[in-house]
Formats: sequence, structure tokens, C-alpha cells
Amino acid sequence: MAEVRLVDIEKKYGNFLAVPKQSLTIHDGEFLVLLGPSGCGKTTTMRMIAGLEDITSGDIMIKGERINDKPPKDRDIAMVFQNYGLYPHMTVRQNIEYPLKLRGMPKADRKDRVRETAEKVELDALLERRPSELSGGQRQRVALARAIVRTPSIFLMDEPLSNLDAKLRVTMRAELKHLHHELGVTTVYVTHDQMEAMTLANRVAVMREGKIVQLDTPKKIYAEPADLFVAGFIGSPSMNLIDGAVKDGVFRADGVEVPVDLADHDGVVLGIRPEELDITQDPGAAISGKLYALELTGESTLVTLRNGPSSVCARGHADFEADIDSPCHLAPKEGARIHLFDRATGERLL
Amino acid sequence: MRKTLSYLAERALLVLISIVVLFPIAWMFLTAFKQPRDAYSLSLNFEPTLQNFVTVFSDPWNLGSMVMNSVIVATVTVAIAVPCAALAAYSFSRFRVKGRKFLFFLILSTQFIPAVVIVLPFFLMFRQLDMLDTRFALIIVNLAIVTPFVIWMIKGFIDAIPTDSEEAAMIDGASRLRVIKDIVMPMAAPGIMTSSIFCFILTWNEFLFALILSRRDAVTLPVGLVSFRTERGDLWELMSAAGVMITVPIFIMALFIQKHFTRGMTAGAVK
Repeated sequence: MAEVRLVDIEKKYGNFLAVPKQSLTIHDGEFLVLLGPSGCGKTTTMRMIAGLEDITSGDIMIKGERINDKPPKDRDIAMVFQNYGLYPHMTVRQNIEYPLKLRGMPKADRKDRVRETAEKVELDALLERRPSELSGGQRQRVALARAIVRTPSIFLMDEPLSNLDAKLRVTMRAELKHLHHELGVTTVYVTHDQMEAMTLANRVAVMREGKIVQLDTPKKIYAEPADLFVAGFIGSPSMNLIDGAVKDGVFRADGVEVPVDLADHDGVVLGIRPEELDITQDPGAAISGKLYALELTGESTLVTLRNGPSSVCARGHADFEADIDSPCHLAPKEGARIHLFDRATGERLL
Repeated sequence: MRKTLSYLAERALLVLISIVVLFPIAWMFLTAFKQPRDAYSLSLNFEPTLQNFVTVFSDPWNLGSMVMNSVIVATVTVAIAVPCAALAAYSFSRFRVKGRKFLFFLILSTQFIPAVVIVLPFFLMFRQLDMLDTRFALIIVNLAIVTPFVIWMIKGFIDAIPTDSEEAAMIDGASRLRVIKDIVMPMAAPGIMTSSIFCFILTWNEFLFALILSRRDAVTLPVGLVSFRTERGDLWELMSAAGVMITVPIFIMALFIQKHFTRGMTAGAVK
């Protein structure tokens, strides 16, 4: 187990700045998720930790030791790739055994270790098969087994679940969580799926254009997004973001009037999560419009109403029914968190 | 009806093309078993003989030494060219070095030079080095001919291999050379096999350089064929027997690795 420190690291490809100068500490035994949209630099950051990309400037420290110039094989890390990165010409057993073989472990010990690891990820019945004879989930397990077989100091996982179907992804997510609990190895996990980030991480680093815009626990990031980008990125369905202005202590937009504790300000975006809105019959409610869509998700119904350009979504009871285009009113729940952002800068105002 | 006609026309065309392609080969095989008096006859009614094969291996033709020369030159060329080309192809495929594209083009451009233009400088060079009529000289020349071609071929196959497995191996603890040996080469095996066969065929059939650079000791099979053009005229039955000796090894090899050959071709064509 180990602490990883990125100190003022920067990555440039020619003149293109992929990751601007920044620092990050990943604590010993922590599960840290790098979250962001495609092309935001999260995979590049992970590849720099792995040694698969050179860093342009800065230092990477593992267990207090500067490892900038060490090749990947000497960094005591294991990595799970998005496309698994299995060795197609080797059997499952040989795939799992390969890291041990490279480290010169005696054959008998290797055999025992492979068996133990395969049992841990329920692959013991498939050891003599080749990757091409396995399903996506099984291949993912092989990649995992190969990573954990030599108990490295750090796990790096680059969108390991993105190639799996939705159901399998949920199952594997739970397995990853359990595995981290069991092994306690420092883990850096890259994903663009905010649900994966929320469910797996001890802390989430939300990235945008190469920079970490917020680094905190999933709970904190969900409750107090640092800026407009984070607010829109985290949550499913995402936070309602309504363009308007604050005057005389009231946020106003088409069909929206919400009292807020902010001085007069033009160009304000109000943010409120769908689950913090109540559907009401009161025509004087804070948000009014016409019912635009009803989406039953099983445990609830997503109610979307429209007023001019604004569209607001609320999470209602599963039994909620109403006619499309009928008047609809929403009110923030008691104690609901109202977020206000500056439209121009994206900064949090309240 | 129209479909049937088009099907028949298609089949007829295929048969016609096959006849045009296969006729000279079939004629060579038949002539190899004919007696001199039947060599010019197109009749299939002749008394077959193996005497031509015995004759070409005896004095003054001595095809045996030519077979040996061809085998040694082609095998050693493949044994040196393919590993070197595989490493070069890997470098071109994976390392983003400045001037990489230009260098790759430069290597390929050696293939654009007509052989007849460079055969004389080669002749002068080997005469200066006292290496004329040696297998070693032929191996060097063949290496110069086939290596760029094999680099280009293998690069295509390596390009098609995703880098994830290589990176996984590096993180698992392998050095770059170990990655090439354990991961890249086995994954590129069909392509390497295909390239080796092409390399062998090119070298086995190489004529011009072997003709100019060899005289007696290093004569290869294709050059040996010329010796059947004598003052007594062209000895077609002997030339055909020698032709069979040249063709059969390649034919057997092609049959043996046909599966790899097709897979390799497809794999390279994808990217």
C-alpha cells in the first residue's frame, strides 16, 4: 500500500497543453476516482502515474520516492485497461501467471497464487480457456485477476467497466468495491460515468480541460458542487439549471420565482436537484409551466415541465399521472439546497 | 433466367482465366515427364519418364548444388531479414520519432529503383571485395532487396495490434524487448509467417542479381535454368524438370501455410 503524490505535474503534446500544472495527493488505501468528460485529461493523468506517458514537468512520488524516471515495471503498480489488455495467445491461467513469471516466482508458488486469485474472482473453472472464448464480464475478471495476483502497491483502473452491459456493470461495480475493501490497496480509477464515481470513490476529482475543478467526497461534491460544470455533470438526472437574474432577494426567470439570499445580480444560474422539488397544485408555487414529459423509472416518475426556454425536472411519486401540456407547478422542498452560479464565469455564488 | 446466364458467364470467365494461368504450369509439369522427342508435342499421349530428373542432377547440369545454393541463400536471407525487419517494423509502428515518416518512405523508396540500374555497382563492389560467385554476396544482395519490403509488410500487421496488451505487459513487469518477444511477436505471428513466405519466394525466384553475381559455385536454381539453353537448342524437357524442382517447394510451402497466409493478409489489410 502506498501514498501517491503528484506535484506540479504538467503534460504537453507539442504546443497542446493536455494537463496544466497541478498537484494531487492520493492517500494510502484510498479509492480515488478521476471523473470527467472525454478528453478532459483523466486518462493522461493516470498514464503518467503508470509511466506509460512521460511528464513534461513536475514530480510523481510513490511511497515518498520520486519515480519520474522509473519504467512502468519498476513502479509496483497494476493496471486494468478499458479494453482489458489481455494476452490473446495465452490461456486465462497464463494471463494471470504472467506478472508472477516476470518477477521470477517459482513455478509451484505461481500455481498456488494463480489458483487463489482465480477463486477470488470466480475464474477457477475457466483457467484453461483463451480470452476469445470468454464473455466480456469474464475477460474483465481476468484483467482484474492479473492485476491483483501480485498484490501491488497501487491499482490503476482506466474505465474498466465501460465495455460491459448495464447489468453486468452494476455487478462488477459491487465486486470492485468489495475487492478494494478486502485488499485495501490505494486505487486510482478513471471514469466518465458519475454513477461509478459516486458509488466507488472515497474521494472524487472532477476534471475539466485537464484541470481538477473539485476534489472531495462524493457526498460533498453532490451536495456542494464547486461550479456550474460540476453541478451539471454530477447527478442523474442532472441538476436543473435555470438562467435568470436576482433582484430584491428573488431569483426570477420565465415562470420561476425563488427567494434567495443574494444581492442583485444579473446573469445568474439557479441550480436545484430534481429530488428536491415537490409537485404541487398551488398556482403560486415557485416554478410553473406546462407539463412536457412524464418518464416512469420504476421507483419514481420524472416530471418535466417547460416554460419558455426553461425546462425543469422533478422526481415525483411513481403513481403520479397528469396530462401532457396541462399546467404544472413545482416547489422546492423544505430545506432544499438552492445553488446559484454566475453564468459568465461558472463560479458558485451561493 | 437472367441470373442463370450471368452465373454461367461468370463461371465461364473464371474457367477461361484459370486455363490461361494454369496452362503454362500444367505444360511444364507434363513436359518434365516427357522424352526429348515428345517435348514439343501437345498430345497427352506420351510415355512418361523420370529420366529428366535423373539427368538434371547429373553431370554437366548438377542441379543438386544449385538446389543447395538456393536453399541456403533463401533460408539464410529469411532468417536474417525477418527478425531484423520485425524489430524495425515495431519501431516504425510504435515510436513517434521525428522524421519517422520520411525514414520509412526512404526505406520503401529503395524498392522503386530498377534492379538493372544497381546490378553493376553491386558487381563492381563484390569484385573489389573478392566476393563474386559466393552465396554470401547473394545473401547480402537479397537482404537489401527483401528487407524494406518485409519491414513494410510487418509494420502493417503490427499497426493492427492494439497497444493495450503491450502496455499491460510493461506494467506487469516486462521490458520492451520482452514485450516484443512475449506479446507482439506471437500476436503478429500470422503476419510474420506471411512475410517470411513472401521473403522466401522473392529470394528463391530472384534471377537478375544471381545471374550477374554468380558464375559456377553460387549459381541458384533460376539461373541454372538458363543453362538448358544450349548450342543444341532449348532442352525443354530438362528445363521443365528443373522448373518443377523450383516450383514444388514453394507450392508445398504455400499449401502448408495457406491458413496463416489468408489470415495474415486480412489482418494487415484492416488498418
